[in-house]
Amino acid sequence: MAFLQITDLCAYYGKAQALHEVSLNVEQGEIIAIVGANGAGKSTLLDSVIGLTKTTGDITLEGTSIVAMNSSQIVRRGVGYATERFNLFPYMSVRDNLMVGAYTARDDVQKNLDMVHKLFPRLQEREHQETSTQSGGERQMVSLGRALMTSPRLLLVDEPTIGLAPKVCLEIADVLRRLRDEFGTTIVITEQNANFAMTLAERLYVLENGSIKAEGTVDELRDDPRLSEAYFGL
Amino acid sequence: MLQILIQGLLLSGLYSLIAMGFMLIFSVGRVLNLAYGTYLMFGGYVYFYVSQMLGMPKLVGVAMAGVMGVLMGIAKFKLLVKPLKGDHVAVEISTLILAVVLQAGVVLIFGDSSKILLPIVPGVTYIAGASVTYNILSATIASYAILAILYLFVRKTHTGRAMMAVSMDPKGTAISGIDSDRINMITWGISGLLGAVAGVFFASYTQLSPHMWVAPLILSVAVVIVGGIGSIVGTLVVAHIIGFMEVIVVAWFAPELRGVFTMLLIITVLIIRPRGLFGREEL
Repeated sequence: MAFLQITDLCAYYGKAQALHEVSLNVEQGEIIAIVGANGAGKSTLLDSVIGLTKTTGDITLEGTSIVAMNSSQIVRRGVGYATERFNLFPYMSVRDNLMVGAYTARDDVQKNLDMVHKLFPRLQEREHQETSTQSGGERQMVSLGRALMTSPRLLLVDEPTIGLAPKVCLEIADVLRRLRDEFGTTIVITEQNANFAMTLAERLYVLENGSIKAEGTVDELRDDPRLSEAYFGL
Repeated sequence: MLQILIQGLLLSGLYSLIAMGFMLIFSVGRVLNLAYGTYLMFGGYVYFYVSQMLGMPKLVGVAMAGVMGVLMGIAKFKLLVKPLKGDHVAVEISTLILAVVLQAGVVLIFGDSSKILLPIVPGVTYIAGASVTYNILSATIASYAILAILYLFVRKTHTGRAMMAVSMDPKGTAISGIDSDRINMITWGISGLLGAVAGVFFASYTQLSPHMWVAPLILSVAVVIVGGIGSIVGTLVVAHIIGFMEVIVVAWFAPELRGVFTMLLIITVLIIRPRGLFGREEL
């Protein structure tokens, strides 16, 4: 039984279908990447896992179907999400943003806060700063930190490197690796940057026009033309 | 001058409490609750019924008014706002119709004539030579105390921070595991509580009547327009601007003009700064 199992998932925005019978599985402690061009359906897929879209098909977490649950219930089951646009609370301080993430994990507040500060020391230094005044890299850190405050066993990260300087991308990659290695967090990222995805993930899924076009380990897909097609959007 | 300062503070405290409940709903739920004034009306009448008709202790009357406000707020959210979710115009029209219906209900039960509420705390004191009734003084102190508790609640508790979060980013709220419907329901309950308790103070300051929901509604709309979708502090500041302005107009010009200057202020702010003086997407 996979830790996360997605079976024949279709997602809709009104009458428009954004995902077409997507199936994938993630084992506990794995880092997998979903790569694809803009508009491939990567964000929709993660939104669907956390219950933000209208879907058919099934999603199970540790064998329990979560497809009919709302976001609040899914987060309580141990799914954290850092979105591409961050969706932070702009006029709240860094600390308050993190504390909002602790809404469902109140017993673990100090433990999670210590973990976030250990992973992102800059957030502790700037805990009173409003996030509306922060750089893109800092906002990404707050976004990840807020997701970690939910005590996730599965962390979804949508395009963690988009718009960020290469140095910050390396920092983010290092943090995600440490999260898996030190805390056992299972991680699913989406990426347009296939090189970044291949340096971080063990397995990749190539998403194109809402369908999985290829899947495999990094070594299996490194020279696969379908990956470069998705990467370049050809 | 000192008398204006004292009267201004007394009136502004009450205005702040009145406007705060309205602002909460507007900030968190993004709807204008045009039945907001009925919380005040119901609060006043519940207090009147419990304390003056049944003869129970005044604090019990205030508490019962607050409970009724909470229940009304939750009922409005569940029966009206949630089914009409996403259609703000429909919510606003429905709440206005509801206000008229509730007014008619009060007329049926208590009659159309105004009633005098006995002071919650009887007596008069003098502050710097100005006479101040204990009733308005206690109402003002209670208003500031309630607002301080509200401020701490919003800033320091998980539920309060969730209310702020809902007012800023719905998706960010959802992925933080917050059920925005539940937070909205709590906000409507708090709004009802604030409105109903303010209604007891307001009715004891003015008089109890089935039509008393209109003036507080206009005041609340004015505070939100002038302040913007706003912070608690912004609402306090604007309520004080309006409160002091009314006291000054009454003292220096004519009582008939007190509302006119508030309207002029609204129009001026709409022209110069349409988002309001403190307008930003937050609570």
